[in-house]
Amino acid sequence: MRLIPRSIHGRMLALSVLATLVALAVAGAAIGGVLQRFVTQGLDQRLDAELSLLAGAVGADGRIDRAKLTRLRGLLDAGPEWRWQIIAPADTIGSDVLADLDRRPPLRGGPHGEPPPLDKPGRPYPLDAVHARGTGLHARQITLTTSAGPVTLTAAAPRDVVARPIRAAILPLLGTLAILGVLLGIATALQLRIGLRPLRALRDGVAAMRRGAGGVSEDQPEELRPLAQELNALARDTSTALATARASAANLAHALKTPVATLALVVRDDAAAAAQVARIDATIRHHLARARSVAVDRRASTALEPALADLASTITRLHAGRAVAITRTVQPGLMVAVDAADLDELAGNLIDNAMRHAVSAVRIDATAEGAIDGGRIRLRVVDDGPGIAAEDRARATAPGVRLDERDDGHGFGLAIARELAVLHGGALMLEEAPGGGLAATVTLPIAGER
Amino acid sequence: MRILLVEDDPDLGPAIAKALRGENCAVDLAADGVDAGHLGDTETYDAAVLDLGLPGRDGIAILRDWRAAGRDLPVLILTARDGWSDKVAGFKAGADDFLTKPFRVEELVMRLRALVRRSAGHAATRLECGPLAFETQTGQFELDGLPLKLTALEWRVLSALMLSRDVVIERLALAERVYEGDADVDSNSLEVIIGRLRKKIGASLIDTVRGRGYRLATPTPSAA
Repeated sequence: MRLIPRSIHGRMLALSVLATLVALAVAGAAIGGVLQRFVTQGLDQRLDAELSLLAGAVGADGRIDRAKLTRLRGLLDAGPEWRWQIIAPADTIGSDVLADLDRRPPLRGGPHGEPPPLDKPGRPYPLDAVHARGTGLHARQITLTTSAGPVTLTAAAPRDVVARPIRAAILPLLGTLAILGVLLGIATALQLRIGLRPLRALRDGVAAMRRGAGGVSEDQPEELRPLAQELNALARDTSTALATARASAANLAHALKTPVATLALVVRDDAAAAAQVARIDATIRHHLARARSVAVDRRASTALEPALADLASTITRLHAGRAVAITRTVQPGLMVAVDAADLDELAGNLIDNAMRHAVSAVRIDATAEGAIDGGRIRLRVVDDGPGIAAEDRARATAPGVRLDERDDGHGFGLAIARELAVLHGGALMLEEAPGGGLAATVTLPIAGER
Repeated sequence: MRILLVEDDPDLGPAIAKALRGENCAVDLAADGVDAGHLGDTETYDAAVLDLGLPGRDGIAILRDWRAAGRDLPVLILTARDGWSDKVAGFKAGADDFLTKPFRVEELVMRLRALVRRSAGHAATRLECGPLAFETQTGQFELDGLPLKLTALEWRVLSALMLSRDVVIERLALAERVYEGDADVDSNSLEVIIGRLRKKIGASLIDTVRGRGYRLATPTPSAA
């Protein structure tokens, strides 16, 4: 079991709860102590008054004036269990017998200061006593000096007199502290909720960035601003690294393709050599496509409609002389979380493949599915050509497979489109179009708002 | 058919030029962007084959400048850049066709012929003029349904006349489409070629418009 929670929220909450509990316990103990002191002080005053009454009944010669004691009786018995006792050298009298007088003062450094030493008479000192019947007593004692010797006066009250008001106060006290604790807890939770809100906002920003937003807002609390700036710098670095990786892949391809083109021209009359050159070309194309596929920029965001419009016009011109019309129905404003080159590659291959096989028409439509945030775009390219037989459709998306040997296509189109779609978390589905022909449907992630 | 070939690779450029000449084309080869831009600005071509990655100037920039200056010769981009984005950028800059390396030279020739035919305003691939027929896809001439054997120079003259059928082509303009840039242009040899062509296809088909040039005239039904 972890003692420290994983979440910052949990840590701060645990710490705050712990601190609150300790503070409440200290406050409870302090309030209880003060309360006890006040009650004890009040009782001590009453007992000390009783002691001075008793002292009035002791003569300077150490004799006890019993008649006076009898007169005082009503004043001395303050309540049941209240006791008094006079021990003179010649006489001992009391309301009851007090046993086991504990000579140790109950409160060290208590309200009366230093415990008085027994040989230093004149001031009352506290005592804990036990009644002969076993009841605990709180007592005060004073030793008077007489000509006959020391006379000890004791006045005692049941300890319950102190304990009862404390017991009565403890419940409301605990209740109040509990309410205080709950209020502090609520305040902490609210504080955490409000205090950690910028962190959640930043997390949402990063998530949006991953789906295609350009960066996170740098309008952040002071503590988070450097983090946001670092994140944006990281995003820029990644983009640059991606661009560099792509550029070197393209450069490699370019560097190889021109000599391959020369070779193809030189050996075009030698079928065996030409076949080898074709293989080299296919390998370059395949690995260039793969290099492209590896270098995916997940934060990209590209407008779909203009890209499709450009591709449709480009492909129409590439197939100039073919009477195939491309029609487009694209929901305006759609943004895909795929970078412009990948989108061109993906859609270009699909449309070009459709164009190659179409008899008279290629239809492109694109719609958004699901919520705009985290939803998907469904791009569908349908031709009215011969289509692909169900058993060949899976093979059609395997790299390098060219089903229609009469065509001069390189056979990678559908495979590249599928790889790119999968790489961007989408998929490519091949179906039979309603009027025959091939319907290629690709799903792509929608880009968040920039 | 005179082609401006822009290719910086020292092996590929001459190889393409040789292949195109083998298909009866006159070819001027430019090996860098500055040369290419200059030739395109000053000479007359039926079409240009343009590489994109060039020393001196980028192919796209050259193409944009040609289009901005109103030069509308058909341009086929021939490049190793095979991304769809590159193709889109090429067409946006004003290209008429796009072919990626490596390529089959037959396809390059076929696409060039189609470009030249379309830019001359012909939608059909087979052009006819009386007994004479021109299969633009294959570059084959037929006379009365039989293949017509022509030298490269004869083919260039006849194809230019055929593409501008019934329109007078000025002598100078015709010469520009027949001879390569560094060839010794001799107006007499153009006369000689016309003479040889008249012998092969019949004197009545090619009119000489005195002081101006030549015209391939469709025979009127009464004359036929």
